[in-house]
Amino acid sequence: MRRRLALALGAGAIALVACVVAALLLGPQPISLSAALAGVEPDRAILLGLRLPRVILGALVGAALAAAGVALQALLRNPLAEPFVLGVSGGAALGGTAALAAAAAAGPASAFGALVGSGASVALGASVGAAGSTVLVFALGRIGGKLVPEAALLVGVVFNAFAAGVITVVKVMVPPEEAARLLYWLMGAVGYADTGTLVTGTVFVVVAVAVLVATSAQLNLLSLGDDEASSLGVDVGRSRGVVFLAASLATGAAVALAGMVGFVGLIVPHLLRKVFGPDHRILLPASVLFGAAFLVLADAAARLAFLPLGSEPPVGALTALLGGPLFLWLLRRTERSA
Amino acid sequence: MTRSNLILAALAAFALALAAAPLPAAAADPLPRGEPTWLGPAAPARPTRVISLAPSLTDTVIALGETGKLVGVTRYDTAPEVKSLPRVGGFLDPSPEAVLGLRPDLVLWLADGGAYPAVRRIAELGVPVLALPVVGVPDVLRAARRVGAALGNPEAGERLAASMEAAVRAAEARASSLPRRRVMLVIGRDPLVVAGPGSYPDALLRIAGGVNVVTGDRPWPVYSLERAVADDPDLVIDAAVNEPADTIARLSAIPAVKGGRVVRLPDDRVLRPGPQLPAALEQLQGALGTAAPGTAGAKGTR
Repeated sequence: MRRRLALALGAGAIALVACVVAALLLGPQPISLSAALAGVEPDRAILLGLRLPRVILGALVGAALAAAGVALQALLRNPLAEPFVLGVSGGAALGGTAALAAAAAAGPASAFGALVGSGASVALGASVGAAGSTVLVFALGRIGGKLVPEAALLVGVVFNAFAAGVITVVKVMVPPEEAARLLYWLMGAVGYADTGTLVTGTVFVVVAVAVLVATSAQLNLLSLGDDEASSLGVDVGRSRGVVFLAASLATGAAVALAGMVGFVGLIVPHLLRKVFGPDHRILLPASVLFGAAFLVLADAAARLAFLPLGSEPPVGALTALLGGPLFLWLLRRTERSA
Repeated sequence: MTRSNLILAALAAFALALAAAPLPAAAADPLPRGEPTWLGPAAPARPTRVISLAPSLTDTVIALGETGKLVGVTRYDTAPEVKSLPRVGGFLDPSPEAVLGLRPDLVLWLADGGAYPAVRRIAELGVPVLALPVVGVPDVLRAARRVGAALGNPEAGERLAASMEAAVRAAEARASSLPRRRVMLVIGRDPLVVAGPGSYPDALLRIAGGVNVVTGDRPWPVYSLERAVADDPDLVIDAAVNEPADTIARLSAIPAVKGGRVVRLPDDRVLRPGPQLPAALEQLQGALGTAAPGTAGAKGTR
């Protein structure tokens, strides 16, 4: 186990470094690394001022979403569970949107509008929304007091549709410039956050991920089912509550930072399970590293993909492009094996 | 037990989120509004490498006779003078990397929420940005003066603003001799989007002497067709220039459309708050004049 963990973490670290270096060197504007490090402008500003913060943001979001995905999959005992699919991201988006809409309604010039429209409130709204939708999914996904994964997934899907409907209504109600901003955020764009955002985002994600890593041994037991876990001495309710809390926090932070980036928590754990097996003590930390690497690379690809158009699609579009088919394939496969 | 734990956890999540609250992201940062403002470092007195982040601001630079200073524009810029210039993304999604790569010493920005995080970052990285909130006609005049001054050519800015102001006065004078017609300005068809109070076309329409049938407090409302029918405008001005002209037939429930009292505008001037202002006023007054009340006899064909 220890050797396999070292192997997984080593491979993850190498992948992360490789993806970060690639993302730093690739972009619409050709730059020279030596010139940038020597302080020549605009190369230095592009490398350190634009690409580096964006890479950090992408890594944070990717790590948070992949870790949340592994945790939710263990709780639901289903490989299809994922923050986006389960409606947790939808709840976070709804919470963030509510904060933005309240600000727009109050008028951004007013003190109340400025307070509610601040980034803090948006992040707070997103985290509360994520926690709320997770409670909903896990409460309504029970049949006869037992958590039924399929029912929970269905609740998530329905909740996502509901959240999308509410967001559409809000979009009609807010001023057009707010609507445009809202739409771009929700589409899942890794944009240009300031240093304060990155620092607080890091704290948020590190805390959530650390909790998940610390509980990864319990995830192994929880994924056996409630009865088996409690017969093995796990306080199922408490463990699940802690995992659920950390996964909600991770998702809320990710959505507040970058909007609805879907399927990262599906793609990354799925591939890693194939390579490293189902042991969560390895799977979870590896997902953190590979999740970060994956989203950094995906964002770089999104930046480059539409170069000729002078535009870039939000990275969420790219992850959905990869994740949608994978989800359907997994669904078919679990159906057969069931 | 499990449920109460869940609720407990939710509360804990809430508390933790509160504690770690300052996490600005998609934040509605206070946008520059009203007066033009500077972001980033001080601009040189006579900038030589200027990027315009909005077609109307590109128009302004061209009208000031300073086209030679432009080194980059948006992908929506269609003016022939800037055809060969590099594009730095769109109005809502400028690419900071492309902007920095052109080493500008001045960026002109039509202040807008969608682009704010990117533009703020550009300014933080040492590029002077002039943020120009342009909504109404006074903003257009002010923008001409401020851009002229920022380019080191305040006289040209003053001249441009004065000529636009004269055009506004002239249009107001002409308006008094025109019949007060009730107008609906169609901006998009599917869904029906119209120019409401507070929008730039609405301001132009007032100056031109028309009466906007659209009321309320939204500048660009998505309008219900029923309400449009009930409003019964004398004239529909079709400003949806990117949509085929004949699709206006979809709105034929509106009596004016059915009766052929529709004037289609040839271009998007009334939607570009900039030096096209005099031409836009002429377009609108032309439209108000063509279908004079006499031709409203077409109403009989309802």
